[in-house]
Amino acid sequence: MHISKMEDISRRAFLRRSKQLAVAGTAGSWAMGLAGMGEAAAFSAGNDYRALVCVFLNGGNDHNSTLIPYDSANYDLYSAIRGGGPGQTAGGIALARSSLAATALTPANGQVLTNNVQYALAPQMTRMKALFDAGKLAPLLNVGPLIAPLTLAQYQSSNLVANPRPAKLFSHNDQQSTWQSFKPEGATEGWGGRMGDLALSSNTNSLFTCISATGNAVFLAGNDAITYQISPGGAPSINGLNGSLFGSAAGSNALRTLMTQSSNNIFEAEYNRVARRSIDAGVVINAALQQISLATSFRPVSGTNSLADQLQIVARMIAARQALGVKRQVFMVSLGGFDNHDNLIEAHATLMNRVDFAFDAFYRATVELGVADKVTTFTASDFGRTLQFNGDGSDHGWGAHHFIMGGAVNGGRYYGVAPQISVRSPDQVGLGRLLPTVSVDQYAATLATWFGVAPSELPSIAPNIGRFNGANLGFMQ
Amino acid sequence: MTQAECAALEEAVEADSYPDTFAVPQGTAGEKSSAHFAIPAASLVLTACGGEGTEGSSIASVLAPTVQVAKPATDGEAARFILKASLAATEPEIADIRSVGYVAWLDKQMDIPISQTGVDWLSSRGYDQVTVDEFYFRDTLADNMVWNQLITSPDPVRKRLAYALSQFFVVSTNGIEIDWRSNAMAAYWDVLNRNALGNFRQLLEDVTLNPAMGVYLSTLDNKKEDTRTGRVPDENYAREVMQLFTLGLNELNNDGTKKTGSTGQPIETYTNADVSNLARVFTGYSYDYANLVRTPSVRVPSQKIAPVESVIRRMTSDPTRWERAQTVSQHSMLEKTFLGTTIPANTDAPTSMKLALDTLFNHPNVGPFFSKQMIQRLVTSNPSAGYVDRVARIFNNNGSGVRGDLRAVFKAVLLDDEATNAAGLTSPTFGKVREPVLRFTQWARNFGATSQSGNWTINNTSNAAFSLGQSPLRAPSVFNFYRPGYVPPNTAIATNTLVAPEFQIVNEVSVAGYINFMASAIGSANGLNNDVKATYTRELAIVSDTTALLNRLSLLLSGNQLSDTTKATIKAALDATTVTDTSSLADKQRRVYLATLLVFASPDYLVQK
Repeated sequence: MHISKMEDISRRAFLRRSKQLAVAGTAGSWAMGLAGMGEAAAFSAGNDYRALVCVFLNGGNDHNSTLIPYDSANYDLYSAIRGGGPGQTAGGIALARSSLAATALTPANGQVLTNNVQYALAPQMTRMKALFDAGKLAPLLNVGPLIAPLTLAQYQSSNLVANPRPAKLFSHNDQQSTWQSFKPEGATEGWGGRMGDLALSSNTNSLFTCISATGNAVFLAGNDAITYQISPGGAPSINGLNGSLFGSAAGSNALRTLMTQSSNNIFEAEYNRVARRSIDAGVVINAALQQISLATSFRPVSGTNSLADQLQIVARMIAARQALGVKRQVFMVSLGGFDNHDNLIEAHATLMNRVDFAFDAFYRATVELGVADKVTTFTASDFGRTLQFNGDGSDHGWGAHHFIMGGAVNGGRYYGVAPQISVRSPDQVGLGRLLPTVSVDQYAATLATWFGVAPSELPSIAPNIGRFNGANLGFMQ
Repeated sequence: MTQAECAALEEAVEADSYPDTFAVPQGTAGEKSSAHFAIPAASLVLTACGGEGTEGSSIASVLAPTVQVAKPATDGEAARFILKASLAATEPEIADIRSVGYVAWLDKQMDIPISQTGVDWLSSRGYDQVTVDEFYFRDTLADNMVWNQLITSPDPVRKRLAYALSQFFVVSTNGIEIDWRSNAMAAYWDVLNRNALGNFRQLLEDVTLNPAMGVYLSTLDNKKEDTRTGRVPDENYAREVMQLFTLGLNELNNDGTKKTGSTGQPIETYTNADVSNLARVFTGYSYDYANLVRTPSVRVPSQKIAPVESVIRRMTSDPTRWERAQTVSQHSMLEKTFLGTTIPANTDAPTSMKLALDTLFNHPNVGPFFSKQMIQRLVTSNPSAGYVDRVARIFNNNGSGVRGDLRAVFKAVLLDDEATNAAGLTSPTFGKVREPVLRFTQWARNFGATSQSGNWTINNTSNAAFSLGQSPLRAPSVFNFYRPGYVPPNTAIATNTLVAPEFQIVNEVSVAGYINFMASAIGSANGLNNDVKATYTRELAIVSDTTALLNRLSLLLSGNQLSDTTKATIKAALDATTVTDTSSLADKQRRVYLATLLVFASPDYLVQK
């Protein structure tokens, strides 16, 4: 098949790379196509299918209510800072200790964390507890954006040149962007998209390399790779293009002409480029999706679960990977509502239930499709939140705990360094806003390495990686 | 205005030495806060001096010595202006603005009083009553309230501005999970309308004390620190009121560009310490329940429903007025130091609020920060620094020494030469994507849409796959539907280092969903959601003349911005099916529907220039 934007991509990528090739004395031609080009070698892991799925928790997930100190001593510290009740009962924004028993985690091989902290997952996360126990889920502790390793003393220094830190910390939009692209708002390339750049040549249909089920986000934008949007129901097809518009075939043709015509105005031209992609790709996607069947249910027993809806279409797209002509894909989905300054206990419980259900359904779908070890799902969020409570919620923080899930994950144990349960310790910058000990660069580099990105290419994915000790955190097989 | 002043002004105009911000002396033309800025001021002032309009002048050409009142030279120019300032261009408005000129028309529009508030509309439908229908649980009533306001209000300029403000001071119906959610949103919408042509300082205060905002950014029931439990005040509002409603993150020059420090880096406007201190100001507020009581639910009488008035009144810091009346204030009595201001310890809530809002309002960032975003909402995504500077100067001083005069600011935005100059029509980088909500509103207003039930059942249009991908008062977060600095990746827009906020909601799903939704609204036999249906009376009357039909649609919907190519494409499609005066109504309707949808799908319509 042929998609106009794909041609754009191919052409730009071709022009850029043909310069490189020309230096090497290799003349390219249009006919050779991208698949014949050099950077296919970037994927040393071979020719099999691999997908990364970023689950973005919009608003800044309260990691302290997601992975909760459960051993009695650390629980008491947590409860004291979060307004807990007497006798380890609920209060403020502290959960009752007894509510955590069923989801308390026991890591493999007797792993010991800071101050012997033992964590429990949020009480709703019974399915994710099972995934942890099965070795398919790994928590990564206190990860966040950094330019270079930073101590509290360095953070408190006014010498920002010697002690650089990410710009616009604690600001939602900027930290979302920083998590996704290592730059605040206004960035145009994210690390999902940069991996997509390297993956384009692995895919016959390069347009289906970076796919979002959650609207436009910089994470999936690359230098060449563009984000293709899908909706939970597939690609919406434009009814008026199916032969007749208000009874008129000529009208239907005119609609197509208008939606795809070029323009000198930059906004008109770009709008219609999106429309062209929508029309052309929609046909291919929906034809491919019609061929697949997926038995795993993503429907919650009651209510709605937009994260599950999005992960379902991701699973269906993965099921259709051969028809779509793709071997390397990066997906993005999201769930909103995490900015729990208020009403945290109730609101966060609902969200944790949704995450738990959706992760479990998605994992089971990958098992059904026989790709459990070829699909890795990971969480990201604007920032963590304060450990200190503000009445009935928590405020913007920095570092946070995250999850990696999949058959290729070395799960059932923790990665990173557990923070102290304190608002005074040197691993936080006030009110328990965590100073990250693992950088997003390391998180990204570890995932990218599994995806097949060569070590030499890692700095193009994770620009600060050279400043950190270790580009592989070890959570992937 | 005295004769001498008129003479001096005309002389200044003739000499082309017109000052950038012309200050009309207080007490002369100052009865309306409208005549106090650069070029548009000149035309208004000259009108006041008895000048007669000259057909065919542009606003810019008012600087030419012979021109006295700026009027649109063509219907297209008139419609182009109306489509930036208002919600739809209609023939009477086009005729009016061509007759009286830009400034007089805008003043006339701005003078139209609010006829019915959102709260009153809900009441008029019985939606404030505790009945078996449990309206207090409904959130789509908020959608239909605002749709009704956008589509039927007789003051569309005010509504357009209020809608722009709703994307700056964002409260989303999605985030207000309280009883009487729709009524609370209506009260918030009313705050925006009431203040849209008033003063920014008052607007900021009304926004801050509105219960919907109080719930959305959690100032409602936000308590002072408690040294016993370690509880600290909620920082939510303190942070966002600085980042989004007043200052932004970086110190700005008056033209909206970033100031830089000694090493060339941007200067952040506030620190976490500023946030934590300002957070103390927004403690101790709750619903004002004075003389209000709960009502038993009809279905479950043991359930007591909050009085609707409690979500409409301003929040109060007087604990004797709370539902559970107390004698002790929950307001923090600690010292509050932020942005160089110190509110001494033991300052009460109202005094702290006044000092804090004064500090925010008087920060030099507010003018450029707010002005640039209003230009982006109404006129163009990438205003020049000079344009931002001109509007921000009016924000800083309307000419009578008043800061934050929104009527003057909006006039400066709309009447600026950069907004009206014909150069924008052909510039490859001028303009903005029309918002889906405004496209739909145009459709409803232009084609006589009515609600058969009277309920305006348009509902939440947020879904991108099936609907508009945008719904008024339904932003996904306080960061609005899109960010003012959004750059669509991998586009010529990015290559040219431009921004395009609305492109944040343009994608393969939303462009398709929009066309399908508009097609269903335009051509539905029973009306959208079996309720909202257009008449197309004027279009059906000229349906047999496809040139006339198309010219009408191009003028009203796009301000004659459809290219010849686009018009030829549409005309050929219309002419492919013969429709005459004797054709059936169904055939006539199909042609009108087709013409309408094709215009709404044309890129030269979709981008406002």
